[in-house]
Amino acid sequence: MSLVIALRTGRVAHSNSSSLVAPAGSVIQARGYAAPVKAAKKVSSKFRPNAGKENDKKNRGGRDPGLFRPMPPNALTHPVFQSEYRSELKLPVYRPETLTSSAAAKALAFPRDDSRALKAFGLPTNILVDYLLLSTPCSVVRQVTVDVLDQLDKAAQSSSQNTRLVFTGQPGCGKSYLMLQAVQYAIQKEWLTLYIPRGINLVNSSTPYAYDARTQTYGQPAYAQQLLKRFADVNAALLQSLTVQSSYPFDEREVQNGAPIMDLINVGVEFQHQAPTVLNALFDELAKQTKYPVLLAVDDFQALYCMSQYRDPFYRAIKAYHLMLPRALLEFASGKRKFARGAFLGALSSQNTTFRAPLELIESLGLPPNGPTNPYVPRQPELIEYAKGLKNFVVPERLTVDEAASIFELWQQSKALHFPRGDELFLSKYTEASGNAREFVEKGLLQTVAM
Amino acid sequence: MTPSLESGRSFPLATQSRPGRLSARTCALVRQRARSPSSSVSLSRALVSGAVRGTMNIAKQVAGGALRFRAYATAAYVPPASLEGMQRARPPPSKPKPESPSFYTGRANYFDQLLALEKAAKQTRTALQELQILPLPRFAQQNLPPLRGVWKNKEDLAELLEVGLNTSRYRRFIGQLNQLNEYRRLAEVAGHMELAGRIQRVLDMFERENKDAILAQGKRKPVKFDEFGRSYTIGRRKESTARVWVIKAKEAASSSTAAAGQGEAQPPQDAPAVGIPGFTRGPLSMAPTPIKVPTTNILVNNIPLVEYFPHLSDRERIVRPFRIAGLLGAYNVFALVRGGGSTGQSGALALGIAKALAAHVPEVEPLLRKAKMLKRDPRMVERKKTGRAKSRKAYTWVKR
Repeated sequence: MSLVIALRTGRVAHSNSSSLVAPAGSVIQARGYAAPVKAAKKVSSKFRPNAGKENDKKNRGGRDPGLFRPMPPNALTHPVFQSEYRSELKLPVYRPETLTSSAAAKALAFPRDDSRALKAFGLPTNILVDYLLLSTPCSVVRQVTVDVLDQLDKAAQSSSQNTRLVFTGQPGCGKSYLMLQAVQYAIQKEWLTLYIPRGINLVNSSTPYAYDARTQTYGQPAYAQQLLKRFADVNAALLQSLTVQSSYPFDEREVQNGAPIMDLINVGVEFQHQAPTVLNALFDELAKQTKYPVLLAVDDFQALYCMSQYRDPFYRAIKAYHLMLPRALLEFASGKRKFARGAFLGALSSQNTTFRAPLELIESLGLPPNGPTNPYVPRQPELIEYAKGLKNFVVPERLTVDEAASIFELWQQSKALHFPRGDELFLSKYTEASGNAREFVEKGLLQTVAM
Repeated sequence: MTPSLESGRSFPLATQSRPGRLSARTCALVRQRARSPSSSVSLSRALVSGAVRGTMNIAKQVAGGALRFRAYATAAYVPPASLEGMQRARPPPSKPKPESPSFYTGRANYFDQLLALEKAAKQTRTALQELQILPLPRFAQQNLPPLRGVWKNKEDLAELLEVGLNTSRYRRFIGQLNQLNEYRRLAEVAGHMELAGRIQRVLDMFERENKDAILAQGKRKPVKFDEFGRSYTIGRRKESTARVWVIKAKEAASSSTAAAGQGEAQPPQDAPAVGIPGFTRGPLSMAPTPIKVPTTNILVNNIPLVEYFPHLSDRERIVRPFRIAGLLGAYNVFALVRGGGSTGQSGALALGIAKALAAHVPEVEPLLRKAKMLKRDPRMVERKKTGRAKSRKAYTWVKR
C-alpha cells in the first residue's frame, strides 16, 4: 500500500517509533494485522455460479448483534398489549436502608431513575439476557450480599490496599450478580464507582490499540474514551465538587492545577488518542482525593492475568499487563497503587475458556489448582507480583431454599414460565440444580419441558 | 392315628414273628432315639438293624438246627439228650456278629440308609392313605405348589455316607429322597405340619447348606438396612451399574420430632411476631413459624448431581422417582455409578433410587410400580450383523 493511499484512507502500516500524539495521517491501527475487506472483483465470464449473491450481501447491512432492547411499557399503546397477561414486576427498591440481614432472600429491584449505572456501564452478558426476560432489572439479596456490603462499609474509611476482594466460587453460584449489587450499593452510598462488567473486552482485541513510547505500553484509545464517558455519566454529581491536584499539559489543551476534574475527563472524551493518558491521570487524581471513597470493580478479573489477543509487530502476543488500562487495574488490584479511600473488587468467571485463571492467580487466592502442579511448573514473577495480597471471598455454591424460592417467585411473577407455580416443582428443580443458581434458573426454569 | 416314625413303640416290625426277640441293645437304642429325634439316621439304622437281626436270629436257629441234624457221615451219632450236660474241651469259637445286616453287601452304610428311607417312605404312604390324602385326585395333583429338592451332590453325599457312590447308586438314593419330599409336600399342603416336620427332619441331613440361597435365586430379595438406617440398592441400565445408598434426611426427622415435642409455635428471630391484624386470640394471632424446608442432596461418585450430569434430561430422570413418590426432601442419596454413558448411568441411578424409596416407604411401591420405575429397562444395544452395516442398517441396494 503506498503512503499516499494510506494517508488518504487514514490507515498506515504500524511502525515502532509512532506514538499516540499523531499527525493528520493517523497511525491508529485497527485490529492488528487484519487486512481490510476488499469488494470481490467482477469476473468477466459467462459463468455465474451464484447469481444475485452480491446483491444479498449489499442489502443485508450491518451484522446483527443478536440482542434487542425491549420497548418500555409506556410505548406499547396498541390494544393487543393491553391484556391482563402482561404485567410489570412490582418489587421493593434496592436501597441501602433496606439492605440488612432481614432483607436476605428478598427480591429487590434496582432503581432506574437515580442511577443510570446499568445503562451506562453495561452488564455482563448473562445478566443482560436475564433482564431481557424479566421486565425490571432486579436481583435477590442473599446473606453474602449483606456480608459484602458490610465489608464495603468498613472499607469506606480506609485505603483500597486493605480491601482487595476477589469473588470466587463454583460456576453459576452468583459472583457477577453479587458484584452488580455491590456496585449499585456503592453508587447509592455516594462512592465514585468504576465498573467494568466484561473484563474480557479489554484483552480480546476487540478495540483498536496503539503503542505509547512514553510509557512503553499499549493504549486502547476507543475503549478508554468510552470508559471516561461512562464514568462521567454515572458519577456526574460527585465529580462536580472535585478538583485536579496537579497540572496536566496535553498538546491540545492544558489542565491546570485546581481545575475541575471534569475538564480533565473532557480532554479524553474529546480527543480519543489522549484518552488512555487521561484515564491514567484520572486514576491518579481519584487515588489522591479523600472526599469520596472509590470503588473499582472488574468482572472477568482473571482475563487481566492472561495473554491478550493483541499482537505486536513481531506477531508475538502482547501480555495483558503491557496494555495501559489492564496494567492500571492490576496495579490497583495488587496494591501498588491505592485509593486513599475505597476498595477493589474482582470477580472470576469460568464462562470463557480462552481466558482461564492462570496458576499464579489460583495459588495467590488459595484455590485448588485445575490439574497436578509442582514447583517446577514455570510461574511468571510479574503475575505473582500482580496477584499479591488478593483476598479470596468465596461465594457459597448453593442457594438456600428461601433464596431459591424468591428467585422462583420472581420468575413466576414475570410470567416467563410455562408451568404453574407449585412447591413440588420448585423443590424438584432445586434438587436437580443442587442449589446452583444458574442451573436452577437457566436449565431448571427456562429450559425444562417437564410439567 | 398318625403313626410316628420315631416313637419306636407302635412300630410294627412285620418281619419278626416272635415279639420280644429284639436284642436288648436295639431296644434301648430305639427308646433313646424316640426321646431325641435328632439323629434319625442312626435310629432308622437301629430300627432297621433291629428288624433285620430278628430275622437273622430266626434264620440262625433254623439253620443251626438243620446243621445239627445234617451231620457229616464221618461223625458218630450222639443223641441230643446226652449232649446237654456235656462240657466241651474249649468254648465254641465266638464269631463276631456284623453290626449291620447288610454288612456283606460291602456298602452297608449306603444300603442301610437306603432301606431306612424306603421304610420311612412306606410308613408315610400308609399314614397319608389313612388320612385320605393319597391317592390325590387329578385337579389337586395339578394344583400343588412346585417342588424343588436341593440335595447334596454326589461327592458330598458320598462323604456323608462314608461310602463310594457311583451315579446309579446316587440316583437311586436321590429318587428316594424325592419321593419323601413329595410326601412332605402333600402333608404340608394338607396341613399336617407335625408329619411334615418329621419328614423334613429326615430330609434335612441330605440337603445342601445353601439350600435357601439356591431356592431364593431369581426371586426378589428384601432390601437390607444397616445400623444407620441406610438402604443399599443396585440399579442397572444398558451397560451401567449404580450402587445407591439412601438415608433419611436429618432435617425432616429433627423438625418432625421438634414439632411433636414443642407443640406450640415459636416466633421467628428477625421479624416481629405478629399474626393477622384483627385477631387477638387464637392461632391466627400468632406469627407463623418459618418452616425449615429439608432438601434432598444427591452425590454421584462424590460429585454433586449438577456437576456430574450436565444435561437437564439426565437430572430430571434421576429426580423423577422422588416426584412420583412425593418424597422430595425426605431422603439423601449417595451413589457410585460405573460403566456406560450419561443416559445409562442416569437410568441406573433412577432405578436404584426407586428401589430404595420402595424399601424405605412401602406405601409408595404401588405408585412406583405403576409408573414403571421399578422395572429394569431390558433394552440393550443390538449387535451388528454380518451383511449389514449396523444392527439394522443395510448397505445400499445395487440393482446389478
